[in-house]
Amino acid sequence: MIETIQLSKAFKERTVVEDVDLYLDKGESVGLLGPNGAGKSTTISMISSLLKPTSGDVKLDGKSVISDPGNIRKVLGVVPQEIALYQELTAYENLKFFGRIYRVPKGQLESRIQETLELVGLKDRQKDIIKTFSGGMKRRINIASALLHNPKILILDEPTVGIDPQSRNYILDMIRQLNESNGTTVLYTSHYMEEVEQLCNRVYIMDHGKVIASGSHSELLSILSNEDTMKVQLNQMNEDFIKAIQDIDVVRQVEETGDGIKIIAKKSANIISSLVKFADQQNIQILNFQMENPSLEDVFLHLTGRTLRD
Amino acid sequence: MLTFLIKDLLLFWRDRKEVVTVILLPLLLVVVLSVSMSGLFDEDQSENFDLSLGLVIEDDQDEAMEEFEASVTQSEQIPDDMKPELIRTIQEAPPVEMITEYLTSPELEHWLTVQTMSRSEVDQGIESGNLDAGLIIPENYTAQLLKSIHFDEENKTELSFIAEKTSFEVDMVHNVIQGFLEQMNLQYAISASGSEINASEIQRPEGATEMMADNSSFTISIDQYFTISMGALFVLFMASTVATRTGIEKREHTFNRIALTNTPAFHFLFGKTFATFILSWMQIVLIFIGSHAILGVFSGRSLTFWMGLIFMASIYSFAIAGLSSILTSISLRLKNPDTANGIFMAIIIFCGTIGGNFIPIYILPNWLQEIGEWTPNGLTLAVLMEWLQVEDLSILWMPALSLLSLTLIAFIVCLLLYPKRGEIS
Repeated sequence: MIETIQLSKAFKERTVVEDVDLYLDKGESVGLLGPNGAGKSTTISMISSLLKPTSGDVKLDGKSVISDPGNIRKVLGVVPQEIALYQELTAYENLKFFGRIYRVPKGQLESRIQETLELVGLKDRQKDIIKTFSGGMKRRINIASALLHNPKILILDEPTVGIDPQSRNYILDMIRQLNESNGTTVLYTSHYMEEVEQLCNRVYIMDHGKVIASGSHSELLSILSNEDTMKVQLNQMNEDFIKAIQDIDVVRQVEETGDGIKIIAKKSANIISSLVKFADQQNIQILNFQMENPSLEDVFLHLTGRTLRD
Repeated sequence: MLTFLIKDLLLFWRDRKEVVTVILLPLLLVVVLSVSMSGLFDEDQSENFDLSLGLVIEDDQDEAMEEFEASVTQSEQIPDDMKPELIRTIQEAPPVEMITEYLTSPELEHWLTVQTMSRSEVDQGIESGNLDAGLIIPENYTAQLLKSIHFDEENKTELSFIAEKTSFEVDMVHNVIQGFLEQMNLQYAISASGSEINASEIQRPEGATEMMADNSSFTISIDQYFTISMGALFVLFMASTVATRTGIEKREHTFNRIALTNTPAFHFLFGKTFATFILSWMQIVLIFIGSHAILGVFSGRSLTFWMGLIFMASIYSFAIAGLSSILTSISLRLKNPDTANGIFMAIIIFCGTIGGNFIPIYILPNWLQEIGEWTPNGLTLAVLMEWLQVEDLSILWMPALSLLSLTLIAFIVCLLLYPKRGEIS
């Protein structure tokens, strides 16, 4: 349905997106995962025709969006990372304005406004001015504004940043409903791994402007098929201990957690005896030890050497 | 486009602080400045001037007086017992003599030199710069004036005041003559009704004035000046206010959201332009009406005067809308809204200064004064000052056409500056 081909963007000397190839099939829910500054928002801006790429193309049903952006704008809803609403207008006035400029037919506009308000659960607050809303409520109206024209494709750029868990769950349920019930194609960007895991069938992982991995959950997790992840809870830690663990041949990565360390090591390698020995040498007590199933976070850590929130 | 217009008007209306600033501040300034500055205009500012006036007397006063005395003697309208008193009164204060005596009186002689000369000498003197202005007393002036006062005949003659160019000095001379004529006319009118003439009670009017065309022109008062000046100035700020909102829309990303729709780009631009027109028009008209309601600045003026005032306010609002459209395009091209606001303020202050809204333009160099006449506010201020004195519709057309031309140029410039999609900073 929509694809990017070798999409690149450079600002002066700095390349922020490089040769990105994405593909979204009709009705799919695809995640675009990456830390801040990975190039996700720039990629989205190019897909949505807001920014011209330096090179490459975006195609909708085989037709170039770059040369004819009007086509994609008709079927695309974009929820920007920022609250792109008029703060001094009411929720209703905002939706009416955006509905009109999205050219929702006059006869349908009122019902579309009420439907979207119902969907985001703010029908009873429609007469209130946006600046009086909580962060979560603003985010929901931000999404509603992108849904008025019934888009076939919905791009959401980190729509849950900075909101309370209740609003976050509400938004995630809403997006799932749009994807599953309405068949809306969803491209969801986030640096919250668990959101992407919950919502998306396929994931693209971006870092430093490039797609470094892509596939379904199982395909991505298989990257770690040759590795084991272990979580060790300790009563204390020190640098010598962590360095000693890192120096073990079969250990690929050691990451500090709040109450201990997480070790990624070669599959089936026996490091327990070494771990106990080093802990004993440093007078550190091992409180708990647990083998973990790898997550996308581990995949990202494996691929980039960083966590998503670095 | 209507959608954008409604949105912009609604956003303006919701910003109550802005509404209060735009409407109440200029009214407050008009009142404060009028009250505080009126004293300054009463003071004698003539001490530092040395002005020259060429006086052309084409009238034969003696012949006219003889003719008038004969008419009075033969008149059946005037009661016989009043005839000698009337003739005596006119002989004591013949009009042309009164004018020349006043112009050469000790009160004026230290700053005004009056030379009697021919019409061609006056024209040459003004052209060469040797004379600041000329006053022509036409043929039959005395006869016509006296007949109009005492026999209700139509007065077909007018005094003519000529000058090469409007300046503060020329305004002063005209102002003085105009004030004297009003006083003289009043005294003749009183004498015609049987009261005594007291020709020594001649007072100068307040405020400034421009070219005098006839005896029916008006003098501008200080509160009228500030009403027009503050109105023109604050409307100028409206262009910046609306364009600044574009910066806010960029910062709050609503502009990006608009760009994601298939709405033509110029809808956004012209929505702002028409919003500026409506807001500017409402602002200036409210300033005029508010000032009149508070200070009675336009008391006694005709319906034609009000229509001319509103007509020019409308044309000026168009020009401001044009300026606003350029500022909007600039705002979209600049990354930093603070830089854009700084540029807007510099443009507004420049226009306000050379247009005469902040300081009297006569203190500026001539070349800057000439540029000032091409700013929308300068042009509007000049034409409305003239309109305040002379309700002659012909003086409105050329400035109105000039303002509309400026508006058209502004629209062309704004479209050239308007960034294409993907170019917006």
